[in-house]
Amino acid sequence: MKPSLNAPRRASTGSQAGALALGLVFFCPLPGAQPVPSVSESDYLADVPIVLSVSRLPQRLDETPGAMTLIDREFIRQSGARDVVDVLRLVPGFQTSSAFESDAPQANYHGSFSVYSARIQVLIDGRSAYSNYLFGSVAPGLLSVALDDIERIEVFRGSNSATYGARAMLGVVNIVTRAAAESQGLRASVRSGENGIQDTQLGLGWNALGSAMHLSVDQRGDDGLTGSNGHNRVQRANFNAEVPVAFDAQLKLHTGWMHIDAGRGFASNLNAPLRETSYNSAFLQLDWQKAVDSQQDVALDFVHMQESFVDVVPYALAPVDLDYSGVASNDSLKFEAVRRLSPDVRYVWGTELRRESVTSRPIYNTDAAVVTDFTRLFSNVEWRATPQLLFNAGGMAEHNSLSGASFSPRLMLNWTAAPGHTLRAGVARAFRPPSVFEKQGNIRYVANGTLLLITTLARGQVQPESVLTRELGYLAELDWLHSQLDVRVYNDAVQGFIQSAQYALPGAGSLLASNPRDYFNGENFSIRGLEAQWQAHPWAGARIGLNFERSRMVRDEAQIIDPDLEASVPRSAYTVSLMQQFPRGWQLAVNQRYLDTVTLPSTSNYRGSISRTDLSLSKSLHWGSYRGDIALTLQNAGGNVLDYGKAFSFPKRAFVTLRVQD
Amino acid sequence: MLRWLRHLCTGCCLGLALAVAAQPTPTQVVIVSSEASASYTQVNTVLIDALTRAGVPKAAVVLLSPSELAQRTKEGQLGLTRVFVAVGARATQAVLAADPSAPVLSTLIPRQSFAQLLQSSGRKTSARLSALYLDQPLRRQISLIQLALPQARQVGVLLGADSVGKLPELSALAQDRGMTLQHAKVNGEQPLFQALSVALDGSDVLLALADSNVFNSTSIQNILLSSFRARIPMVAFSSAYTRAGAVLSLYSSPVQMGVQTADLVLGAWRSGRVPERSVEPDDFLVDVNANVARALGLALDGAALRLALRRLESRP
Repeated sequence: MKPSLNAPRRASTGSQAGALALGLVFFCPLPGAQPVPSVSESDYLADVPIVLSVSRLPQRLDETPGAMTLIDREFIRQSGARDVVDVLRLVPGFQTSSAFESDAPQANYHGSFSVYSARIQVLIDGRSAYSNYLFGSVAPGLLSVALDDIERIEVFRGSNSATYGARAMLGVVNIVTRAAAESQGLRASVRSGENGIQDTQLGLGWNALGSAMHLSVDQRGDDGLTGSNGHNRVQRANFNAEVPVAFDAQLKLHTGWMHIDAGRGFASNLNAPLRETSYNSAFLQLDWQKAVDSQQDVALDFVHMQESFVDVVPYALAPVDLDYSGVASNDSLKFEAVRRLSPDVRYVWGTELRRESVTSRPIYNTDAAVVTDFTRLFSNVEWRATPQLLFNAGGMAEHNSLSGASFSPRLMLNWTAAPGHTLRAGVARAFRPPSVFEKQGNIRYVANGTLLLITTLARGQVQPESVLTRELGYLAELDWLHSQLDVRVYNDAVQGFIQSAQYALPGAGSLLASNPRDYFNGENFSIRGLEAQWQAHPWAGARIGLNFERSRMVRDEAQIIDPDLEASVPRSAYTVSLMQQFPRGWQLAVNQRYLDTVTLPSTSNYRGSISRTDLSLSKSLHWGSYRGDIALTLQNAGGNVLDYGKAFSFPKRAFVTLRVQD
Repeated sequence: MLRWLRHLCTGCCLGLALAVAAQPTPTQVVIVSSEASASYTQVNTVLIDALTRAGVPKAAVVLLSPSELAQRTKEGQLGLTRVFVAVGARATQAVLAADPSAPVLSTLIPRQSFAQLLQSSGRKTSARLSALYLDQPLRRQISLIQLALPQARQVGVLLGADSVGKLPELSALAQDRGMTLQHAKVNGEQPLFQALSVALDGSDVLLALADSNVFNSTSIQNILLSSFRARIPMVAFSSAYTRAGAVLSLYSSPVQMGVQTADLVLGAWRSGRVPERSVEPDDFLVDVNANVARALGLALDGAALRLALRRLESRP
């Protein structure tokens, strides 16, 4: 772009605008002027849009009100992982499953208490990916973005309802996708290998109408876990555009679609027979951000998301369908403002209106939509009292039309005891309101107008479960091997954990005696433990990651309702992650995760260990202006390990990935 | 007869007085300003105040727009000008087109703009035509990097058609100070993002040089975000860039430019000569974006850096 002195190419803001307008009238073009210089003083004097103002600056790790694990694009690429869950399994405190048996591969933090991932929150570019359909689950959301479209994943290990509201009860996975402006050109990848692995992806980034745009289309599929009917195929399309609407404002548009076809069930289980299921989701997100000045940002975010589930199969013993199908949707409108009051104080406040809707006759025994309205008001203040002391204090007041109001506060103190050595101490309370199903589930089987059986009839008495987290942390930036150590000691005191039990319903009027399932606030318990995470870059091209965890559930013996609950949390676990670059573009990555004395999500009476080791060897390639890499990945090198249930195992499998970009 | 002669004398005296009264005051300083926006107004105000304080009659200082200068030149109304001051590139272009007889000092102008205008008008720097540059000398920019980021060993730099000429000097300076330059050219074959990846690769700092082919209001977002994600601080050339997200900026403010311009203009007013060689700004500011510095784990003090730089240049 060449500047013209007669028509300044940059607009000024504020008071300068008037003066400039007068100047434009006053200083008319020179007749017969010589060619103008291509550089002028306007390059030095003109305003430019504010890009990095307060809210877009992430906090440094020693300033965050809790423990974080950051996963960058390079780590994701080198790890050989195929989806987000494959990456999260390496994060301290996480347990994952690759099964499609409930909805999609799951990830849980501090306990896989059920086959649904309901106690963590997943945000994709700030959008909640929580599916409110059955028990609540982030699993489909975790699958909704292709790994190659991800810039980084920030895992907040600990309760964060103070910032993100209900559902961020035990942790938050924040997925940041790659900016369209950084994804220009063509990218393609193909993957093929054992266990029926067939993945393809095409990404295209371009500029149009002054905006950067990116479209990604992909498909991933495999035969699923050994012993399962879990063959699966996921198709996704995601589009995003960054539109500079004004000098100091930007509109980001994200829209996407996902379709999952997956097999489920067991040949020998009449209540969960072999069947084909499908899931569809689509969303639209409009995110308007304005930098009021270098000290203040405001943002307005609108999201619409809809989902449909098809899971229906005839029951072998009666003319009825086993049906879990339905549709769900949610709409959210959020306003957020961030302001720096002084060099030492900044705060964020915001409000969100959210409406969630679920419609399913088989599950709620009504054709009407069950609607839950959420109103949220939140704020967090960061105050650097002295150069060494940083306070983060905040909270979220929340009301939902299904289970009432709650307030989730948090206070965290970060003390830099010496340069590079930060101690954290804090306390936070978080809630998870019961899902619509836990509050109003109503599953009944009717054949030819006759009520056969009621299997679920929630009585609506269940209240939100809560957790009070107390934690101490230590973060050290060490010169030794250029490493970083993070230690977290925690006590998650869970109150009113939501559990289920059957009860007799003699007056149900069903042909068979109905003992439907209901949900209630059951046990109180504490999960106590320690997590240590050490990451090093000891020499050029090398990364070493070591995590170690120790945890146990503490509860009152006299009040135990579910004896197997404590095995939901592994007693100990570790991750070893090694990556090294070699000459001529070769790279080797080894990732091992080991969990000891843990149960499986669908089999509570199992106790055992789970160990999985992945290896990936890759070589970067160049063909003229094209570059890429080819990688050979061996997942679960040690052989079959149980996953999801005792009948399923994650197979040892190898595949080849070829990636090209211009 | 005597009466007639008296009338004639009175008439002559009156006519002479009228003629004297009608003679325009000889103009001493003509300031031509490219624009009337805030920065130019600040330079002009500081300059006129300083000239007035130094004894130049206020009526002897005229402020014109480039089009007014052209008009007055055409009508021969410029009077006796002792010094022309051109504020900005467009004003310099207009003054050169007027082909003035008095010395010309161009100010608030980047070195390259001045060179291009000299070339297109077939002139050379002399005691009758020189400039006070707006841009900072490259050695000062490298010194700032050394002072602010002493660990920096590799300096990334993005070059476009208007800045690629600085590469040899910049490379030599970096080498002298024990640093390496990781440069990437932005052109049709290598679009911005690719060039940025090259410039950031392994660099400890990104040095921004004014070039609208590279740094403009459309590209700045991507450049700043990319360098921030790579945790590579950007050192830029204007306070607007610090506000936008560059960790540091080195620049001369309009007030500082106005003060130094006034010194040079007073010298020319007294001696009838402008400096034979163009001069660089001798005062400057260092701005720090505290938000970005904190996020990058840097403790920087703009005022202290400015003083350290001045001491390095043996300035008070």
